[in-house]
Amino acid sequence: MKSLRISVAALLLFLTAGSDSSAFANTHYSTENLRLGGAGGVFLDATIYLPGGSPAPAILLAHGFTGDKTSVAGQAEQLAAHGYVVLTWTARGFGNSTGEISMDSPTGEVADVSKLIDYLATRKEVVQQSKSDPLVGVTGDSYGGAISLMVAGYDKRIDAVAANITWNNLVHVFFPQNANDPSLGPYKKFWAGTFFALATLPKSVAGECGTFTVAWCNAFKDAVATGSPTPADISLMNASSPSTITSRIIAPTLLMQGEADSLFPLSESIKNAQEIHNAHPLTPLAMIWHSGGHDGGSDESARLHQSVSDWFDIYLRGAKKRFPIFQVTNTNGSISLVDSSVIAKFLTSSKLPLSIATQPIAISIPFTALIAPIGGIPGAISSLPGVGSALALAGSVAGATAAFLPGQSGFLESAPITKPIHIVGPSSVKIRITSNKKNATLFFSLVVRTASGQTKQPNGIVNPVHLSDIANSGSDYTITLPAVVLDAAPGDKLAVAISTTDQGYALPQDGRQYAITSISPINISRMAFTTKVNRVALIGWPIAAVLITLLAIGAAYLRRPRHNTKPMVESDALVTVSNLTKVYKDGYKAVDGLSFQVKRGQVLGLLGPNGAGKTTTLRMMMGLIFPTTGEIAINGEPIYPGSPTLAKLGSFVEGSGFLPHLSGRENLELYWKSIGRSDEPFFDDAIRITDLGSALNKKVRSYSQGMRQRLAIAQAMLGMPDLLVLDEPTNGLDPQQIKAMREVLKRYAKTGRTVIVSSHLLGEVEQTCTHVVLMHRGRLITYGTMRRILTKAGSRAGTLEEIFIELIGDDLTIGREK
Amino acid sequence: MYQPQKTLPYRLEMYRQIKRKRTLFSYLFVISLPVIVALAVKFGTSGNSSGPTRFGSGTADLIGLATKGAANFTTTMFYFATPFLLIAVISIFNGDTVASEASWSTLRYLLAAPVPRTRLLIQKLKVSLTLSFIAIALLISTSWIVGAITFGFKPLQTPLGATFSNGLALQRIVIIGLYLALVLLAVAGLAFYLSVSTDVPLGAVGGAIGIIILSNILDAISGLGSLRNWLPTHYSFSWFDALSSSIDWTQMIRGACYSLILFAILISRAVIKFNKKDITS
Repeated sequence: MKSLRISVAALLLFLTAGSDSSAFANTHYSTENLRLGGAGGVFLDATIYLPGGSPAPAILLAHGFTGDKTSVAGQAEQLAAHGYVVLTWTARGFGNSTGEISMDSPTGEVADVSKLIDYLATRKEVVQQSKSDPLVGVTGDSYGGAISLMVAGYDKRIDAVAANITWNNLVHVFFPQNANDPSLGPYKKFWAGTFFALATLPKSVAGECGTFTVAWCNAFKDAVATGSPTPADISLMNASSPSTITSRIIAPTLLMQGEADSLFPLSESIKNAQEIHNAHPLTPLAMIWHSGGHDGGSDESARLHQSVSDWFDIYLRGAKKRFPIFQVTNTNGSISLVDSSVIAKFLTSSKLPLSIATQPIAISIPFTALIAPIGGIPGAISSLPGVGSALALAGSVAGATAAFLPGQSGFLESAPITKPIHIVGPSSVKIRITSNKKNATLFFSLVVRTASGQTKQPNGIVNPVHLSDIANSGSDYTITLPAVVLDAAPGDKLAVAISTTDQGYALPQDGRQYAITSISPINISRMAFTTKVNRVALIGWPIAAVLITLLAIGAAYLRRPRHNTKPMVESDALVTVSNLTKVYKDGYKAVDGLSFQVKRGQVLGLLGPNGAGKTTTLRMMMGLIFPTTGEIAINGEPIYPGSPTLAKLGSFVEGSGFLPHLSGRENLELYWKSIGRSDEPFFDDAIRITDLGSALNKKVRSYSQGMRQRLAIAQAMLGMPDLLVLDEPTNGLDPQQIKAMREVLKRYAKTGRTVIVSSHLLGEVEQTCTHVVLMHRGRLITYGTMRRILTKAGSRAGTLEEIFIELIGDDLTIGREK
Repeated sequence: MYQPQKTLPYRLEMYRQIKRKRTLFSYLFVISLPVIVALAVKFGTSGNSSGPTRFGSGTADLIGLATKGAANFTTTMFYFATPFLLIAVISIFNGDTVASEASWSTLRYLLAAPVPRTRLLIQKLKVSLTLSFIAIALLISTSWIVGAITFGFKPLQTPLGATFSNGLALQRIVIIGLYLALVLLAVAGLAFYLSVSTDVPLGAVGGAIGIIILSNILDAISGLGSLRNWLPTHYSFSWFDALSSSIDWTQMIRGACYSLILFAILISRAVIKFNKKDITS
């Protein structure tokens, strides 16, 4: 059993293992707080994390908008513990750094980071590739993600990049246009306002613009006032956009983007990847779409930090690690019943979603008519910054939801689909629109409508369009639908949802009417994914289950009791008890060196006071109890649990045993059928001898003690066994019943068979038995024919009782009998 | 002629168990759940069902959807039956089987007959597992029928918003039933092991139910973290994965295999123990 336990433990260990154990792990590091010079006389509040030991690659770890260097301390500590020199700093205009916020502009924040790289070049703890070129990677989320990409474009010394939930182009982020129309899209006022306020309010002492540069402050004012930026504003936003320099990025780049992100939607990461790949197809590029983002979603930061660390291990340290090219978290999978958390599925692909193959889904309801309310109120709520999909919050009430207001929204629907569809990435549709106005602002999304009338809009992401020149006879446009991760089941309908309002955007103030017809199928993106299978779960567990089952069967087999099945020395005795001893677990010696023989045709009385060891002896004879030493044989065949010889023995020991819910007859029949015998049961003889009569058909539950006793003896007699073993058969019987029992035994013995009967009532035995074994305290006192024992005592003691007292004296201390 | 391989035949043991009131009442217990819930929903006052639920929104949806049709009603019955009813019934069938023979003293007469000890356990286990499986099948069929009578045949709506046709729903329900049968093997193994260890049927049944309730309580303590993955009932609700449009098998495979492992170890221990035991009952 020990070996089984060890193998189980080893297997469990194997099953629980599998987390990353790194060769670089080193939990000791020290930190230094620094005040470093940035570009243009700005001072940056910074901290450097220094692991002990030899020079290590460095990582620049940038924080998000409105944060400071302490907001990334946790990740910095992890990377430092993993053996990297980590430099965190507070971006200009935030926290204790000086300067003004210029939104990751090349002359502002980007120039600052180049100064930080200069500083890293002076540290001996950092691996230096050549003079003033340290081995350095850069990473960050959102605002920090953009600076990572910007620096990678502007400063050739960057050796690896990992950017999370960030933008490709700010013009497209804040004025998103998803139709083939030359105009800018509607102003994303809710997000822009939220961000401007978050950055300016804590610094309001500096005025309405906080620590923003004047140019950025004006750009915000223009957008709010007119809903459209000036050319100067546009060039300002372009300058702070990775899209201007992605063509220069040659460092291996990991792009991470959140599915729950209406600020920087997945399409931003697609553009970044496309631009980097088109300029330098050989640049190592990987992408992760996770379930988080600026709208909230679910937090995957632990997994993402691990991925970032792996990415740097591969490209800064040359570690050999598998890194999937494209990973997608699918949260449509299932919900944990235990804590309602989403159990995500991880999909992987060896291809990036750069040029995506499409599959057409025919539209069966191709027309919808919409109005835009005057003033744009009420407006649909698709998503809320930091809170997530409004649909998820409002619940999926059939029909109208906050995201789809009646009259203001419409659906171009497919027929119910017949096969499951999995969509990852953007889709598109061509529409023809007519309106009573020259232009239109509309919000498109790809949704699933279930047979029960629910509408699922993944993460509340909508793609706004602004159509600037609609002909009176109608105009055709190609609309890009949001990049989403979406599952549809058979019976669901895919639909293009169109809404005329959205509270997150600047809207036209006059009322409008639109009629929209689809003129193409929905072209959904089609990518081949393999589910990131947990090999341990899918293969390891079944293997473990099979192995442990085999081990368990093996253990049970190996530890089966083994018995001496060799026939004993030839003897004419039916029963041979030799040197039998039983010591119970608690040390009580119930039987001690007992030996005797029983020949055919004898009626043997096993006598002794309570606790003499009679029942224990009989139980060993029935194979119920294991002898400590010694043996019992019947016909020379040894007795052990399950020994076939036991079939020659009929027994009754310590009371009857019947199924109380069945009748006496059923009990006898079932017992006979359950003992694997094919010979004649002699039911009638057993019933006649025990004189059971009509009571046989009543349930055993209703039997008296004497009835049960007789039924039990009938059961013992079934098949007329050679040997009948009866333990205290007259216990609890009244005198008439005892007399009847005596007759039963005599009648049985008359058939030439052998009976062993135990009793503590000596007078009782005297009248029934031919032979006697006298026991006391587990030992044999005397043994022989009834006659010999009676005469041996001589004239003084005439009865068995008197002989017994003479032989053992007053030592009648009651032992303990099991 | 004595033939050990013919002792205690399966059909005979099945007859011995099926004739028992215990079996009848256990099955009535299973059948009564869907009937009582259906009556309560149908004739009860339509109270506010959006009250706080222990398991959060996903579950609230599942219960809220119970009246949508036969398929939804059946999945809701699964949800109600998983934490206690099925565990109790399976504990009764597997925990009582050997211990009750000991308490009736029939065990010693079977063994002295002799029914070989390993064979006795295997035959009894086969029957008690069959009875347990019938309980799950009975829960499914009764729920489906009661649901169909009360709420009609309608497509299955999952809490995640997917809708399955009746055919697909039935497939998923069968998958859930089979998964429950596998994941509850651990409970059956535990009860059976206790049944071999004691002569008191109530002790074996109660002991098994007690340990499972303890396991459920520990599973609710989030502070125990991933240690909870090793509790015998941790995966008992993983059948919920079968309600998503494409099934993620990871949890169910792990749950079923873990249950099978526990079952194999416990039954192996029970056999070893029983083979060495002095039968003194």
